Amino acid sequence: MNNSLLNLPDAASTRFLRLPLTVITVAVCAFALSGCDSPKPIERNATQFDLVTTDDANQDIGTYVLPQDTSILKEPNAEQIFYGKRLLNETKRLLPDHVGAAMNCNSCHISQGKIPLGDPYINSYNFYPRVMPRSGKEVDLIGRINGCFMRSMNGKPLDRESAEMQAMVAYMKWLAQNTPKSQKVAINNAGEVDTSLIGDPVRGEVIYHVQCATCHGDNGEGMKDSRGDIVFPPLWGDESFNIGAGMARTYKAAAFVKYNMPMGIQTKGLWGHGNVLSDQDAVDVSEFFTHKPRPDFPGKVNDWPTGNKPKDARY
Amino acid sequence: MKKWPAIIGALGVGGLALAFTLGQVLPSLRTSNSVIQVDINDPELIKKGEYIARTADCVACHSTLEGEPYAGGLPMLTPLGAIYSTNITPDKDTGIGNYSFDDFNNATKHGVRKDNSALYPAMPYPSYQIMPDEDMAAMYAFFMSGVKAVKQPNRASELPPVLNWRWPLAYWQALFAPEREFIPASDDAMLARGQYLIEGPGHCGSCHTERGIGFQELALSNADSEEFLSGAVIDGWRAKSLRGEHDGLATWSTAELVDFFKTGRTETTAAFGAMAEVVEHSTQYMTEGDLYAMSAYLKTLSPKPGEAVTIAAKEDITTQKLLDGVYDSRGAILYAEYCQICHRADGKGVPRIFPALDGNSAVYSRDADSVLQITLSGGRMPDTPHDRMAFTMPEFINLSDADVAEVVNYIRNSWTNQGSEINVDDVVQMRHFLSKKPKTATDLPPDLSITAAAEGAKP
Repeated sequence: MNNSLLNLPDAASTRFLRLPLTVITVAVCAFALSGCDSPKPIERNATQFDLVTTDDANQDIGTYVLPQDTSILKEPNAEQIFYGKRLLNETKRLLPDHVGAAMNCNSCHISQGKIPLGDPYINSYNFYPRVMPRSGKEVDLIGRINGCFMRSMNGKPLDRESAEMQAMVAYMKWLAQNTPKSQKVAINNAGEVDTSLIGDPVRGEVIYHVQCATCHGDNGEGMKDSRGDIVFPPLWGDESFNIGAGMARTYKAAAFVKYNMPMGIQTKGLWGHGNVLSDQDAVDVSEFFTHKPRPDFPGKVNDWPTGNKPKDARY
Repeated sequence: MKKWPAIIGALGVGGLALAFTLGQVLPSLRTSNSVIQVDINDPELIKKGEYIARTADCVACHSTLEGEPYAGGLPMLTPLGAIYSTNITPDKDTGIGNYSFDDFNNATKHGVRKDNSALYPAMPYPSYQIMPDEDMAAMYAFFMSGVKAVKQPNRASELPPVLNWRWPLAYWQALFAPEREFIPASDDAMLARGQYLIEGPGHCGSCHTERGIGFQELALSNADSEEFLSGAVIDGWRAKSLRGEHDGLATWSTAELVDFFKTGRTETTAAFGAMAEVVEHSTQYMTEGDLYAMSAYLKTLSPKPGEAVTIAAKEDITTQKLLDGVYDSRGAILYAEYCQICHRADGKGVPRIFPALDGNSAVYSRDADSVLQITLSGGRMPDTPHDRMAFTMPEFINLSDADVAEVVNYIRNSWTNQGSEINVDDVVQMRHFLSKKPKTATDLPPDLSITAAAEGAKP
């Protein structure tokens, strides 16, 4: 058997070999010695946010630690919370009778509602009930979720007492991590864009084709997987959100798009998302896609009963 | 009795002196003088040289992320300290501006510098050695006239004294980089071209062939042995086997390989890590004919001995469990939270956007370095004009080491995948390694600005 490990050419003799071997031996020993301080496993570096009182945003009263789903197992109603999480992730597949659009809740509430500026659910459980300008009356969390079902999902509301609604609320309650009602986590649900900018839909269409169409389709049709489940939601057309959705409004859409889209283009962040577009880019592309054809919202006649309609409202 | 130590000492010193002297002479035995006169101002020759330099991927190692092309300075980490690639721009003081064609040829093909000392084998001259002098002439013309001169002094290596001596490398060269010619394994001109590109300029074996204790590639061609391109681990990446076994290229078609070289992705996978760099800097620029030739040649390589060509079928029970919310392990919960949105319940990903994990040998291969590295540090697929966008995998650096091990074990053994178990220590080691590793271009997000999109002339 020849020395296959070294793969020596025929001319080589062991005399030639000795010196490199010595060098290598010294090298291996030095390496072995340098490796003595072996590192230890590290724990999760959980994202943390300040807690503030609902009255005074400057009064720092503690820390909110973003939970990982594995900690749901410690909850007595773990099964319900996991079900709620799945309903929010895969709404269309699991609740086809209530979702008209090809959308999931978490199409917009990115990374399971755990990301500031990405429509998080972190404060949702404590934020409601509240008087909302759009409806002009007090809305509780269930009412707010059903609002989404009728607008963004272009579907039908769920029974307030249904296991599905209760499960979604249970997930949001768990995500609040026992934050008292008088406190809130110091994060913003949406980022800022300059609302004095005028959207240019022609430029917006150019941006759309470069940075959005790969996933959302050249005709805004979105993308489904082989089972027909939503991968990327449609941005216009019959299967998209209706004109009653916040996302149908230019500046609301722009604030979402700027900080959360595209996904999978950064090496930071849970979705590797956002922070590619300028304010003008975001307003232009949002002006373009929000104003493409989409379903009507029959309940629009009741919106903004007390006035103060925002300038980008669609009706 | 007392004389022996002195005699041994004297013999040792004498032997070292002899070895040193011989080490000074050895490189000059490798060099050659050619009769070629190179017209470095011939535009056709410069253009040809530019293409050959792409096939040899010089730019990948001889540039840094922030630096000028070919100005050198990229650290190559060795266990004993970094060595740095050199400035190969035509600058006369700090680059290769004073190199004659013979100097250039001897350095590139034989690993001998202008000052007659040996180059570190980080430079793949054992591969480049089979390149014809005419091609080297074209490359010389390109480097002299087609590359911008950059004044940037070379960085000294960080190797400790004694180990940084260059003369022992002359022995390494004599042993491991013997003079060799290109011997086509086939009469088919196309296959021979592919073999030449793989063995020579492409220097695929630098990463994909296992190295011996002298850091030498165990085979420089398929004729040497079936170790050639049978897979290796380098820079915390597993460079997969390119031979015919299941873990290798058995499941790849020639068309898929061409697509992969050209665009950095296929319907089910994407280049990542060091291979993403190769596609971005080198193969995306190659002609369809050359890419087909390389792909067809790779498909002729027999399976690595002892490795299975097919693996036992395994039924996918994972997809249905994930769809039903049956999370029967911590790994499943982690997958559903962090991975499923892109890689999907069926582990098939999204064609050309998010790579499949099911059936992906980078995921289930015996050595889990690749899947560990990309999970911890993220990465980007190559950016080429063939696809509108290049997508990234975000880093999951904030997960605990134990959870990374859980989720990696989960994807290595879910769907139809069958991988060995890794443990927490593997994650610890990889995190430790990554803390020292310099970032490269595909560790960073793509430039998606409107200007970049316009300049990229993408459809």
